[in-house]
Amino acid sequence: MKLDVIRQRSFWWLISGILLAASLIGMIISWQQFGAPLRPGLDFVGGTRIQVTRDCGAADCSEPIDSADVRSLLANQGLETGVIQVTGTEGQSVSIRTRNLTVDEEATLRAALNEEIGPLDNRSVQIDSVGPLVGQQLFASGLLALIVSFAGIVIYLSLRFQLDYALLAIVALLHDVLVAMGLFAWLGLLLKVEVNSLFIVALLTIVGFSVNDTVVIYDRIRENIKLHPERHINDLVDDGVNQTLTRSINTTLTTILPLVAIVLFGGETLKFFALALIAGFLAGAYSSIFVASTLLAWWRVKSGKAISGLAEPAQPAEESL
Amino acid sequence: MGRQRLLLALILGLVIGAIFVISTIPTRLGLDLRGGTQLTLQVETTDKVPTITEQDMEAVQRVIADRVNELGVSETSVQQLGQNQLLVQLPGVSDPEQAQRVLGETAQLEFRPQSPGTEQQFQIENQILQQHQLELLALQETANPSSQTLLESATGEPGTAGSDDLEQQIQSVQQAIQESNRAIRDLFAPADLTGQALTDAYARPRQSGNQWEVVIQFDSAGANKFAEISRDIAGTGRSIGIFLDDRLISAPSVDVQYAETGITGGSAVVSGNFNADSASDLAIQLRGGALPLPVAVVETRTVGPTLGQDSIRRSLYAAIVGLVLVLIFMAVYYRLPGILADLALVVYALLTLAAFNVFGVTLTLPGIAGFILSIGMAVDANVLIFERTREELRSGKTLYRSVESGFYRAFSSILDSNVTTLIACAALFWFGAGLVKGFALTLAIGVVISLFTAVTCSRTLLLFSLSLPQFRKPELFCPGLSTAPAKP
Repeated sequence: MKLDVIRQRSFWWLISGILLAASLIGMIISWQQFGAPLRPGLDFVGGTRIQVTRDCGAADCSEPIDSADVRSLLANQGLETGVIQVTGTEGQSVSIRTRNLTVDEEATLRAALNEEIGPLDNRSVQIDSVGPLVGQQLFASGLLALIVSFAGIVIYLSLRFQLDYALLAIVALLHDVLVAMGLFAWLGLLLKVEVNSLFIVALLTIVGFSVNDTVVIYDRIRENIKLHPERHINDLVDDGVNQTLTRSINTTLTTILPLVAIVLFGGETLKFFALALIAGFLAGAYSSIFVASTLLAWWRVKSGKAISGLAEPAQPAEESL
Repeated sequence: MGRQRLLLALILGLVIGAIFVISTIPTRLGLDLRGGTQLTLQVETTDKVPTITEQDMEAVQRVIADRVNELGVSETSVQQLGQNQLLVQLPGVSDPEQAQRVLGETAQLEFRPQSPGTEQQFQIENQILQQHQLELLALQETANPSSQTLLESATGEPGTAGSDDLEQQIQSVQQAIQESNRAIRDLFAPADLTGQALTDAYARPRQSGNQWEVVIQFDSAGANKFAEISRDIAGTGRSIGIFLDDRLISAPSVDVQYAETGITGGSAVVSGNFNADSASDLAIQLRGGALPLPVAVVETRTVGPTLGQDSIRRSLYAAIVGLVLVLIFMAVYYRLPGILADLALVVYALLTLAAFNVFGVTLTLPGIAGFILSIGMAVDANVLIFERTREELRSGKTLYRSVESGFYRAFSSILDSNVTTLIACAALFWFGAGLVKGFALTLAIGVVISLFTAVTCSRTLLLFSLSLPQFRKPELFCPGLSTAPAKP
């Protein structure tokens, strides 16, 4: 297989453009509906979520939990705005999301639930209560971490490579983050998937992986430039991409395999985390091969450095490590 | 080949060490995996205390830690989070209400004079209390679930009868301690002198000998009150009870020389059998009580014990399935080097898990995800090397040369890509909160170890296998090579 990335670059850029446009549209629609680019989960907006399961040793589990019962129970407590979701394989669990409850309100609600649909299994209860400020803090610290890691990556790559490599690697990275966010914007709109703090972790991981991928290809292009300073950057980029193509495919495959396993078999909490990573990694592999490399060639041609020229002929290194 | 054998021996030693570490030091599981309650407390400023200093935080943390101890849960932890937050972890607690009530209160420090005629009763009650506390300590030690390993808790039956029994015992001792505390408090009369009147408390060495003492200072109203109390008590053999959250933390008596006027001037010295540690401990407790800083519970997360176990079991299975698929892929695609890389990957997984245990990394769900991901990174290094080796073989180099230069050529890519990941990890670790931090740490440990195993372990195994004639066949490294033109 041989790719002609430079000649076909308008095609690849078009695909990326469509993906980015779709992502942005999803985020804009989300913004209008939720006031945020993605459907925000409990971690960001605050509130209390109580998930309880019937103790089937003691309760009558022949019927799934009736959400209407839970709804009227909530209304009795002045929590009409709560969101109710019956979950679990047999509909024996219910997850209730409300505004941030005080200790007493929470205790009353749990007691009422125990009476109405119980007895409940105390060992499988899950309660999350997040103050509204916590989400902002989490978001701010995540954003700060992201900006600092961008700066760190740019500095390192400028030192090891050159500034244009570094900046274009960041462009590719933003591409990947946006694609993953776009997917979840649409998932939020269509399937009501919420993003929580794990999603921030996922985005940060995508950043790390995307740069990783781009660096490997840039490393090869840089080596090619050193070996053949007389050749045109377009050819060198084409070669570099093709020389690393098998590696790109195999690495993406081996990284995504365990993630697919998590989506299929993993616990509930990790599923969407793994899905975000898969989307980001696929976008990362794509952008490294088709976007980062072609952008580099385009930029070098545009800035008149298509042929690095007179550099001293490099000796292929043969000494051992 | 002596160097190769030496390295092999080193790797073998590391593996044995890793297995030993994994089997002896328990893996610390996060609350999301083992069940329990986690609270984030925010220390709030007041008009009197507009900014919270490190010293204030230390004092509040001490107060909270005392209260957490009183809950009778084993393996609790109280950590400072950022400038003004505390993270409290209570493993195994699935009913967060009590904790929330107890921890969310503002510290209460009270000075109370001992009531007349209670001297003997005080001694008895104190002895009972101490006995209960020893009992609790022993129970907590046996209940300590840290001996549980990752796999055991993933597969073991949740909540055996024994641990339920133990839990009940701990709770009853806990109750007894609270009753003792109350009984002791009732021996002291209320005097309306609280922590609000205390302006400072600090430890200092005594002028003579190498003992320490604690200096306490009151504001003017407090000084008058204190003078009054100390005058009543002086020389009677009774003492002033200092109570923090209704618990007696010190009971100094007052010398007869103050019987006329009491201790005036608003400054007093508590001396006794203090060393530097115990004196500063008391001072911190006093300061915690002197600071009426409100504490708000801003976040609670509770995971029932069975829920966490279900998650961990399924994620572990997923990780194992994923890992096996990767191992099969490597062996099929890269042949002999792939199989050796698989060995190196197993070594990698063992070393990383051992490192988690040694560094006390708390494994959470995102942590497991980070680990799985770092396996992907470790594979990437091998893939880079083997692709390079194949390229060199195709260009007609000898096998040994190809392997060597495969490693050499791939190294710069591996280094650059891993360093960028480490830079991202460092940023996440310094600036991220909670989840992000744990994830960054597991990923960083994974990346560093994968650098080591990919470059050292795979390489040594490969070069060693090249020293055996039956493995010295290029087609074991690159299928279809024999059809390539021009090869010596």
